Amino acid sequence: MAIDRFTGEHSVAFIRSEQLFDYARSKSLWYMAFGIACCAIEGLMHASGPRFDFDRMGVFFRASPRQADVMIVAGTVNKKMAETVKLLYDQMPEPKWVVAMGACASTGGPFREYPNVVLGVDQVVPVDVYIPGCPPRPESVQYGFICLQDKITKRTEERLAARRDRS
Amino acid sequence: MLPDATAVSHILTAAGVSNAVVATETLGVVCRLEAASVLRALEALRDGELDFRVLLDFLGADTGEEIEVTYHLRSLTRDEELFIKATVAYDGELRSVWNIYASALMPERETAELLGLSLVGHPNPKRLLTTDGVEPLLRKSVPIRTVEEVRNR
Amino acid sequence: MSDPRDDVISVGALAAEGTHSAGDPPAGIRRVPSGVDGLTTEHLIINMGPQHPSTHGVLRLLIEVDGEEVLAAETSLGYLHRGIEKLAESRKYHQLGTLMDRGDYVSGMHGEQAAALATEKLLEVTVPDKARYIRTLVAELTRLASHLVWYGTFGLDTGAMGQFLYAVRDREVLLDILEEISGQRMMFNYIRPGGVVADLPVGIEKKILDFLTDFDVHLEEHHALLGGNEIFQMRVKGIGTISREMALAFALSGANLRATGVGFDVRRDRPYDAYPDLDFDVPVGSTGDAWDRYMVRMEEMRQSVRMVRQCIEGMPEGDFTAKVPKVIRPAEGEVYASVESSRGETGVHLVSDGSPEPYRYHYRGPSLFACQVLEEILPGHLLADVVMMIGSLDIMLGEADR
Ligand code: SF4
Repeated sequence: MAIDRFTGEHSVAFIRSEQLFDYARSKSLWYMAFGIACCAIEGLMHASGPRFDFDRMGVFFRASPRQADVMIVAGTVNKKMAETVKLLYDQMPEPKWVVAMGACASTGGPFREYPNVVLGVDQVVPVDVYIPGCPPRPESVQYGFICLQDKITKRTEERLAARRDRS
Repeated sequence: MLPDATAVSHILTAAGVSNAVVATETLGVVCRLEAASVLRALEALRDGELDFRVLLDFLGADTGEEIEVTYHLRSLTRDEELFIKATVAYDGELRSVWNIYASALMPERETAELLGLSLVGHPNPKRLLTTDGVEPLLRKSVPIRTVEEVRNR
Repeated sequence: MSDPRDDVISVGALAAEGTHSAGDPPAGIRRVPSGVDGLTTEHLIINMGPQHPSTHGVLRLLIEVDGEEVLAAETSLGYLHRGIEKLAESRKYHQLGTLMDRGDYVSGMHGEQAAALATEKLLEVTVPDKARYIRTLVAELTRLASHLVWYGTFGLDTGAMGQFLYAVRDREVLLDILEEISGQRMMFNYIRPGGVVADLPVGIEKKILDFLTDFDVHLEEHHALLGGNEIFQMRVKGIGTISREMALAFALSGANLRATGVGFDVRRDRPYDAYPDLDFDVPVGSTGDAWDRYMVRMEEMRQSVRMVRQCIEGMPEGDFTAKVPKVIRPAEGEVYASVESSRGETGVHLVSDGSPEPYRYHYRGPSLFACQVLEEILPGHLLADVVMMIGSLDIMLGEADR
C-alpha cells in the first residue's frame, strides 16, 4: 500500500479520519461521462484510451451523475445546456468537484461573442480546476487531475489551519 | 450539373407559376419566385421530368430589407442542381414545405427561429435550437457581444 | 381495425422541455391511459439525453414506449448551438476554418476544405497541384480517424469495450501524424483558401506508410472483432432499415445514403481537389439497415487507405499554396461548395458582398438530416435498439446544432 512508503511496514499510522478519507477520495476520482463538445473527444475518449490511460490514476468514467465525484465540463455551455449542467451538478453526491476543461468551459472560448453562449461554466456551477487549451491535450487534463488531487488532500490541512487560527 | 433553364421555366409555367425568373448565376441555376407560389413550384419540380427528388438544404438570409429563403434541390437521376429563392417580409410567414420534402422539417424550424419568422403549416413548429426569449440571432440587427462585454463577464 | 389510441383523450401534458412553455406535448407523442390490449397500462415517455453515454454528444430524444416497444420519438437539438453561422459573419475568410473545425469536430479537415473551396470559387484562384494532393491526403487521414471514432463508439453502444481501446490505439498514431503535419491534434486549421498553410514535414511519408502497413492488418482485426461477432451481427442486422425513398426524402448523404443503395459520393460525382486523379471505389449497400451502414463504413476505410497510398505516390513537386492576399476580398456573389466528409455531404453556402467578411455563411451539416430521420425509423423497434440506431447513423451534434 502506498501508505507503507511513509510509515514503514507493520506500522501503526495515526491519521485524522477526515484526512484519511480525503486521501482515499483523491485516489479514486470517478468522473461523469458527460461530453458536450469537441473537448469530450480529447478529455474523455482519448483520456480513457490506451495511451493516456487515466484508469491508473483511479480516474474512471461513470455513466450516471449519482455515482460520480467529478464533473468534467468538456465543451461549450449554451443557455439551453446551462440548466442541464446545473441539474446534473445537483444530482451528484457530496463531496463533488468540477473541472472546467477547455477555453469554452472556462470563458466561452472561440464562441464567446455569440449571445447564446454562456461565458464560462463558472456562471452556472462552482469550478475547482480550469484547464486551458482548445482542446487541451490529454496530458493537460491529466495535470489538471493531479492539481485536483493536491487540492483534495490539502483540504484537511487547510481546515485545521483555519481552526487553529480561530482559537 | 446545371439544369436547362428553359426546361425549368417550362415546368413552372405548366404548373401555373407566373413571373418566375430563371437565370444562371455564380451559384448555379437560380429561380426566383414569389413566396406564395413556392409550394406549387416545388411540387411541380419534384414530380416533373427533371425529377428533383431531394431537397438538399434550406436556408434563410437577412438581406437588410427582407428575408431571402433558398431551397437547394438536387436530382440524382439527372445529376443536376437547382436553387429556388423567394423573399419573406420581416414579420412574414414562412410556409412549410414538409409534405413535399420531409428534409425541410428541421431546417425550417431553425430558419424560422433564428430569423424571427412565424412558421405555418408545420407539424411541430416549436423552437429547435434556442430557448424561449432568445432574439432572432441571425438577423443583421442583432449584434454579437463586444470585447468589453466578454471581458467584464 | 382502428387504432384504439385514437379515441383516447390525452391525460396530461408532457413535462415542459427546457424552458419551453408547458402545454403542448411533442408532435406525434400521445399519453394514453390504457394500452392497446385493453390492460390498464400507461404509455411511458422516456427522456434520453442530453447527458447520456450513448447519444454521441448532446442529442436529446423523447421516446414514447409501450412496454419495450417504441411508439414515437422526438429529437430535440440545440444543446450545442453556438452560432458558427453568425460568428462567421464577423470573421475574415481565412479564419473560417477555425470555426468549421469545431463544427464537425471529429473530421475537422473536411469542414476546412469546404470553406476553402467555397472561398476559392469566389476568388477564382487555381490551387497548385501539390496543395490539392496534400489536401486530399489529410482529408483521407481524417476520414480514417473519424471512422475510428465511429467504430469505437458503435461498439460501446452494443456493449463491447475492448475494440474501443484498439480503435483509440490506432487513432492516437493517426493524430500524431496529423499533429506533425498541422500542429494540432484535432483543431487543425490547416487547409486555407488557396492551398494549405505549410508544406508536409520531412519524413512524414515514411511515417504514414508505416502506419498504413500496420493499419491494413489492424483494420481486418477490427472488422473481425466487431463484425465477426455473432452477437453483434444479431443485434444490428435488420435494425433501423431506411428505404431508398426515405433516404432521398430526408436528404441523407454519405454512408447512410449509400447503405440504401444510392451510390452518390461527392468525391466521385462532384470531384474536387485531387479526387479526379485517384482510383477508388464507392461502396454501396442494399437494404439500408445498420449492418449495411457498418459494412459501407468499413469498406470506406479500406478505400481511404488506398487513396492515401496513391496520394503519397503521386505527390507532385511545387508550391503548397497559391498567391492569395492576406486579407481576402472576394467579388460579390454567392456560391455553394461541398465536400464528402466522414458523415456525408458537408456543404458551405457563402454569400459575399465584397467586404473582407462573408455576408452570409451557411453550413450544411449532414448530421442534422440524420437526426431528422431518427424520428422516422425509431418507432416499431425495441428500446434497446435505440442506441444502436443512433450509433449506426454516426451523428455528430456539433454540426447538427452548429
Ligand atoms: S475549448 Fe475548443 S475544443 Fe474545447 S469545446 Fe471549446 S471549441 Fe471545442
